[in-house]
Amino acid sequence: MRKRGMRKQLLIGFAGAAAVAAFAAPVVKLSAAETIARAVIPAEREEAQKVPMPPVFHVEYTELDGPVFADAQGRTLYFWPNTTMRNGVTGDPKNQSMCTDKVQTHTAGLMSPYPPGLELPELKTRKSCLDMWPAVYAADDAKPVGAFTVITGKDGKKQWAYDQHALYTSDQDKVPGDVNGASTKGGQGDGPAARDVAQVPSAVPPGFLVRTSAEGRMLLNDKNYSVYMWDKDQANKSNCDAACTRSWVPVVASVAAQPQGEWSIFERSPGVRQWAFRKKPLYTYALDAETRSQQGSDIPGWHNVYVQKAPAFPKEFTQQDSETGVVLADAKGKTIYTYNCADDSVDQLSCDSMDSPQSYRLAICGGGKVERCLRDWPYVVAAKDAKSTSRTWSVVEVDPQTGHAAEPGKGLKVWAYQGQPVYTHILDKKPGDLLGNGNGEFGGSRNGFRAFILRDDFFGGR
Amino acid sequence: MKNLIQKTAFAAVVMGGFGMATTVASADEAVPGLQNRTIGYVLTSANWGLYQTPDGKQECPDGFNEGPREQFKALYPNLGTVDGTQLERESASRYPMDKADNFPYHDVKGKIGIGLNLDGKVGENDFTSTDGEKGIDNNLYRAIGCTRLFRAPDGTYANFTDLWVREMNFNRVLVELTNVDSLTNDPAVDVTIYRGRDKLMTDATGANIMPGGSNRVDYRFGKNFITHMKGKIENGVLTTEAADVHWPWAVFLGRPGAYDFKGARFKLALTGDKAQGLMGGYSDIDTWYMQLVRSWSTHHSSYGGLSQPSFYRALHRLADGYPGPDGKMTAISSVLNIKMVQIFIEHEGQKVAAASDAKAKAAH
Repeated sequence: MRKRGMRKQLLIGFAGAAAVAAFAAPVVKLSAAETIARAVIPAEREEAQKVPMPPVFHVEYTELDGPVFADAQGRTLYFWPNTTMRNGVTGDPKNQSMCTDKVQTHTAGLMSPYPPGLELPELKTRKSCLDMWPAVYAADDAKPVGAFTVITGKDGKKQWAYDQHALYTSDQDKVPGDVNGASTKGGQGDGPAARDVAQVPSAVPPGFLVRTSAEGRMLLNDKNYSVYMWDKDQANKSNCDAACTRSWVPVVASVAAQPQGEWSIFERSPGVRQWAFRKKPLYTYALDAETRSQQGSDIPGWHNVYVQKAPAFPKEFTQQDSETGVVLADAKGKTIYTYNCADDSVDQLSCDSMDSPQSYRLAICGGGKVERCLRDWPYVVAAKDAKSTSRTWSVVEVDPQTGHAAEPGKGLKVWAYQGQPVYTHILDKKPGDLLGNGNGEFGGSRNGFRAFILRDDFFGGR
Repeated sequence: MKNLIQKTAFAAVVMGGFGMATTVASADEAVPGLQNRTIGYVLTSANWGLYQTPDGKQECPDGFNEGPREQFKALYPNLGTVDGTQLERESASRYPMDKADNFPYHDVKGKIGIGLNLDGKVGENDFTSTDGEKGIDNNLYRAIGCTRLFRAPDGTYANFTDLWVREMNFNRVLVELTNVDSLTNDPAVDVTIYRGRDKLMTDATGANIMPGGSNRVDYRFGKNFITHMKGKIENGVLTTEAADVHWPWAVFLGRPGAYDFKGARFKLALTGDKAQGLMGGYSDIDTWYMQLVRSWSTHHSSYGGLSQPSFYRALHRLADGYPGPDGKMTAISSVLNIKMVQIFIEHEGQKVAAASDAKAKAAH
């Protein structure tokens, strides 16, 4: 299965080579040998709804977020939802863009308890909102198509919008299919006013949803409960009998429901029609107390359903049981952490990339001291022969003293998730320990570390 | 023989109390939750034991502690850079001894306290309980009792951490008593703490937790929380021997966590449908502090006047148990007020797969 997926991906990659070349030079310096040309999309990829769109846009398939809208060069499109913060509102109101080329110099005090007016770090090299989120401008004669419209900014420039949200690309994306600007690695609750990926609606029938998870694009019913399939079923035929259905509730299709694409309907008993996906009959689990549960997959033969699996983790990584579920861990079983950061400017710019100011991270990981950071939150060093396995999981070279990208061949080779290094934590002594989880501002949602949780039985998942 | 005598005695007590029935009932019949010499309870409320007077002047004559906003204003009256202000304070929460902390910190000064005599001694710094018991060890009360965040019912920490005992399955503490012959008097019972997996059973309003529900033991992700203790029941009160307890208590949304008690013990008044009382022990101070730092942001701490760097010093200064190799105390005496209702504990699927199994790895 994986081989077929790789082959298809390589063909796509070849066809898209021109588009790749059209991207601006990467800010993050990765050696060519350590990166791969395009996203690794499995053969069983998520299907997108057919949505009318202007000719300047098309659908790109991503490893983590399924099908997304992209510009002519393959750059993923994003929007910035208007977001209520602790002390105010930021983001784009409908049909307006608040993102400008003005470089912000001071905090806006949108979060608490720190007051507004603090001078932001590294002002000489600080980027503007539009530097990090280039607007997707429209030609003067651009015409609206479907949910795509054209808005006019305060500077008089025309900009594309989707569903009334002004559209941008991300300076963190390097090749088609990247979603490095997305909120998938971001925080919850008190996280930043993050940008969202402009996703193409998934081609699922009414009554189903698809959500991004660490394991892949997870199929749910419209109440966010997990959908399962069973090894003992046959193609479009359920072998789940009356006793079985006490625990496994068939997902029934209404009288009006019609099969579509990879979705079929079969009659499990007279007058009772059941949905199947890729010919596998679908169920919910009666004992699932929480949404997005993976508990049903503990029953032998039963599995959560993913319309598209996430890329494989690096081979040297392991999975460990923790007190909240399953976590991703390094070869020794130490929990893997990602670092998330956004500043408190009105632009809410991210500060968690290797080209960001490192003072935010250093404050949390070592009280401002590099050596203590390297001791308390060491990078996950890649094995000598390790190679990037996807766009999601890559080997990057970092200068440990600065935290910035190193010149090829001169840095420490470490594993990165969506382009940013991952870490372990000194307090974790045994496999499954999570003692670094939430360490940072707002529980690691704004400036701090969060464990890479693959299965969360208690808090609704990653 | 012991079993029969005690069952008969218990039945007599029960019947005598209600002045009814002339036939002898078995213990199982008299206490519906007690079946096969086993009864289970589930935690429904937990609060750190603080003795509070209405205005706090008795226990906190110097007033309440100041928090991050007040300290920020004092330290940086003219604001400054993000690095030199905000990030300096966030660093101080995580590395509190890097810089001096010159802010006053108010400990509890009163003589009355809630808790247990954990060390079996009556010392001059010990509290006296409200019913006159001397030798109460609860130095955590000294450390947090004058910080509004922790004071019930208005302190947000006190309010929400209690609420989340009920609302988060992560915090589903089950206590099972086995080898029980009587809930009134039994010189030897076994007590086991588990973490459950299921929500609590409520009445139709959803507001009141009812006894008689069931809950499955979490043998997979909750195995670290399983603790066995020996206990006895006298006049309907369970007391246990001391044991080290890893107590699941996520004190914020999405942030799994736990407290580590050394030498923990229960003192619980039992009935057939509820248990109520204290769990005291020496809390590991590093675990307590890091759980706070990871869960309660500087912003949330600001709601109740909690400066984390100042509190860190108090926690270390007042630690009174389990000296480390350097002689410094590593734990602080503490107590939880707890409430439980009876529940049927299900021990299904004790053999469970672990994520590190080869099969699980291959599945990805």
